[in-house]
Amino acid sequence: MMRTPISRRSTLLGTLAVGATALARQAIAQEGPIRLGALVPLTGAGGPYGPNMAKAAKLVVDQVNAAGGILGRKLELTVVDDQSNPDAGVRAARQLIEVNKVAAIIGTWASSVTTAVAPLCWESKTFLTTTSGADSITLLPHDGYLIRTQPNTMLQGQKFGQFALEKGGKKVFFLSPQTPFFQSEMDAITKVVKAAGGDTASLVYDDQKPSYRSEIDTMLRYAPDALILGGYTPDTIVVLKDLFRAGFKGAKIGFGYAINQKLLDSVPASVAEGCYTLAPSPAEGSAAYTGLVKAIGIANPDPYTIQVYDQTNLVVLAMAQGGEATGTGIRNNVRKVSQAPGGAVVVNALDGLKAIAAKQAIAYDGASGPCKFTDRGDIQDSKFRYEQVQGGKITLLKID
Amino acid sequence: MLSYAIATLVSGGVYAILALSLNLAWGGAGMVNLGLGGFFAIGAYASAIATGAGAPFAAGLAIAVVAGVLAGLVVTFATLRLRDDYLAIVTLGFGEVIRLVALNERWLTNGADGLSGIRAPLKPELGLFGFNLFYLGLTTLAALVILLGLQRLDRSPYGRALRAVREDPELARFAGKNVLRFKFEAFALSAAIAGLAGALYAHFQSYVSPDLFAPLITIYIFLAVTAGGVGRPLGALVGGYAVMAFLEAARMAVGYLPGLEPVQLASVQGMLTGLALLLILRLRPQGMLPERIRPAPATP
Amino acid sequence: MLAEIAQALANGLLSGALIAVPAIGFTTIFAVLRFPDFAVASYATVGAFAGWWVNVRLGMGVVPILIAAFIVAGLVGLVAEHIALRPLRGYGALTVAIGSIALNLVLENLIRFIFGNDLHGYDLPLEQDLNVGPIRVGPQQIQNLGLAAAVLVLVFLFLRYSRFGRAMRAVADNADLSRLKGIDPGRIAGLAVLLGAGLAGVGGVLLGFDTSIDPLTGYRVVLAVFAAAVLGGLGSIPGAVAGALALGVAEELALLVVPATYRSAIGFAAILLMLTFRPRGLLGERSV
Repeated sequence: MMRTPISRRSTLLGTLAVGATALARQAIAQEGPIRLGALVPLTGAGGPYGPNMAKAAKLVVDQVNAAGGILGRKLELTVVDDQSNPDAGVRAARQLIEVNKVAAIIGTWASSVTTAVAPLCWESKTFLTTTSGADSITLLPHDGYLIRTQPNTMLQGQKFGQFALEKGGKKVFFLSPQTPFFQSEMDAITKVVKAAGGDTASLVYDDQKPSYRSEIDTMLRYAPDALILGGYTPDTIVVLKDLFRAGFKGAKIGFGYAINQKLLDSVPASVAEGCYTLAPSPAEGSAAYTGLVKAIGIANPDPYTIQVYDQTNLVVLAMAQGGEATGTGIRNNVRKVSQAPGGAVVVNALDGLKAIAAKQAIAYDGASGPCKFTDRGDIQDSKFRYEQVQGGKITLLKID
Repeated sequence: MLSYAIATLVSGGVYAILALSLNLAWGGAGMVNLGLGGFFAIGAYASAIATGAGAPFAAGLAIAVVAGVLAGLVVTFATLRLRDDYLAIVTLGFGEVIRLVALNERWLTNGADGLSGIRAPLKPELGLFGFNLFYLGLTTLAALVILLGLQRLDRSPYGRALRAVREDPELARFAGKNVLRFKFEAFALSAAIAGLAGALYAHFQSYVSPDLFAPLITIYIFLAVTAGGVGRPLGALVGGYAVMAFLEAARMAVGYLPGLEPVQLASVQGMLTGLALLLILRLRPQGMLPERIRPAPATP
Repeated sequence: MLAEIAQALANGLLSGALIAVPAIGFTTIFAVLRFPDFAVASYATVGAFAGWWVNVRLGMGVVPILIAAFIVAGLVGLVAEHIALRPLRGYGALTVAIGSIALNLVLENLIRFIFGNDLHGYDLPLEQDLNVGPIRVGPQQIQNLGLAAAVLVLVFLFLRYSRFGRAMRAVADNADLSRLKGIDPGRIAGLAVLLGAGLAGVGGVLLGFDTSIDPLTGYRVVLAVFAAAVLGGLGSIPGAVAGALALGVAEELALLVVPATYRSAIGFAAILLMLTFRPRGLLGERSV
């Protein structure tokens, strides 16, 4: 087989033509700002959380823009409301993907919204970062286009169970609204507590009610010495008030996102006093966490806000690392900035960008935790911060 | 941008079918169904569960329709003798009960996780874009077929009798019409259409969950029917698409308002929706396409 | 078991009392204007926020909170009704009802625009429950029950003995006839809305004492409020109270056998049963 010079030339020309078109396309894509979307709950059930989540994403974007942007371009953030509802969430996500042409969607909160939006993201090669807790989410066939910063519920359930035992709980009660993670959490708690010779029981309540007196009577009949609260802030407030009235003396342990600063601001001090909270956390004295608290101007920002901050940092760094402001670029590079072997520890986008510019390998250490991801997109191992409400303030007990 | 337009038109088609459903019960027989979202949910879950158990897509749609009818019969059985305002409140409660069942009966509905990976017909064969285009055709066709059917019904003696029942049940009863039966049938048919809309929605999104059926969706459909013109099927259809366009435009428009926090923009978006409905009710209560009541054909 | 039932009864009365006041508001509006006013949800929220403002910003106690909630929610209701719903009255009750859903959406988002989604709590001490024999009762809930009873008596006296009240009853009974008697139905309607929205606002404050308030405060209970009013017979004020208490008791008693997550469904089941056997509600309609 002998190739004629002509055919060789035409092959060459063909390659050049394809290359030129690709370059031209890339040039078009590289005009203007790099677009990012924040899809957060500003109305509906997630309303208490979304506004600060949006603030965290904007904080990172502003910081990076003030330092000149990345890849020679500025960042542009579009914040849209998912109404805590998958129908509205899907329509808003379509706008972000197709109209705004974002490279990544940051922050989805309700598990139902994330599950509904995720297929749009992987089909359009848009990167999705989420705070949703349902275990099923990372099991979706997302092809790497999804990461979540919320530890999965098995892990959280174990930690809750261990902590309840630590606080002298032999009979542990789990009081929770119906959530996608109720069952797996309960199973994990039960496993841990039973292994230590204890016993567990649970009750699932309707999260819209103004009083839970009878639910609490049911719980009291079981006479638990530790109570784990699975709700969000609005319903947890009602539960805590009724627990106070009923004079419940056992240990009360809740999620950090539920028993947060806003809860403390809105109940009489005695109601929440002594409550324990668990939240995913970085190591003690983490520069990322203190840096965030200083920059965002919120004392005790709740875990979702912190996670969105980390997500935005990771997205920015992954784009800079890969030199490619696309969903696929982020997918291919996010683990290179979160967990490069032997990488220099960086705690915010600005430091990370400097390191990347200096061709250093980096490992982002987040404000919500180490931010190392499994292939499925789950957090590999998270430490938890155990805090207690003492004298009306959220006080750190330990990080473990 | 093109796929955005296609997907929005599919959503608009689903809203249009829901608006046709509501228009039949409300415009046709004067029955206000504030639990429309519940019937939508029943159809979505019925088809998702059936096709998940191996039924073909077409059977899923049929099962959704049957499930809608059954639910419609349950609701009407208890409430038909009541005045319309009672029906409004009872259907509102019904919608909430459906949401609670979907949330709590894990064995059937997979609870708060919802059902994901619902079969999308022909998606592997057609590819993403082809599937969206196919589904646009399917939804639009369904909306048009229902529209034509309802228009036909409207013009038939049955439709005239239904309107007589709506305008003056006493008189209709006096004229020998079985008022309860008419209401029963109209509501069941309306519920069937809502169920179909749910099934179409489920197989397009590939996902249903209890959160989907928030009361807000029912409000949107009321907006669609009032905007289009209560009592006229074509008005409901147009209204459904118009509302979808409005919702999308409102979300994009508030993005351009300067100096407001995201949460304030979101509330402006909500206020715009409410104001639009109020303004239409006030300025054009007959809607864009007012009901036309044809004279009965002269009897020889 | 007997103690459990007694406790559930007590809990039911206490939680029913919470719903009773907004239910009176809802049913008052219905009695005179003849449409289900879905905007009571946001009237309750408005009242809760007005009370919160007076409490936290001005440092005032329970009575000023309730008065502020009544006045602000009543006035907001009056103005909103006048601008948004009154022009719709000619198109029939259902159109007005749908208008009220739209109005509710506007008001809820207006509150969100001004106050954001943050949760707010009243700066009031919380008291622990007392044990009366085997039964645990809350002093504050008893206070709520007392308040509901007081409101009921006040509204009842107002309707029975004041000139406006008599006129309101006349309009509720027969608007055409009352017009002949020289009563201006427009003014009476305004009064009913003022009263109804104000009571919804007071109800919002009572809810706020037990929960925390945000733009969805009224929305969370509105279904229970409707259920109570329907149970008692739409338009009947004693009926609204009876309906609310019956609903509360039914919900708590049912918890002994039904999973707690289905609590809202119990109200609906109660309505269906009631309407099947007594289509006009516990105490019948219109007996304002």
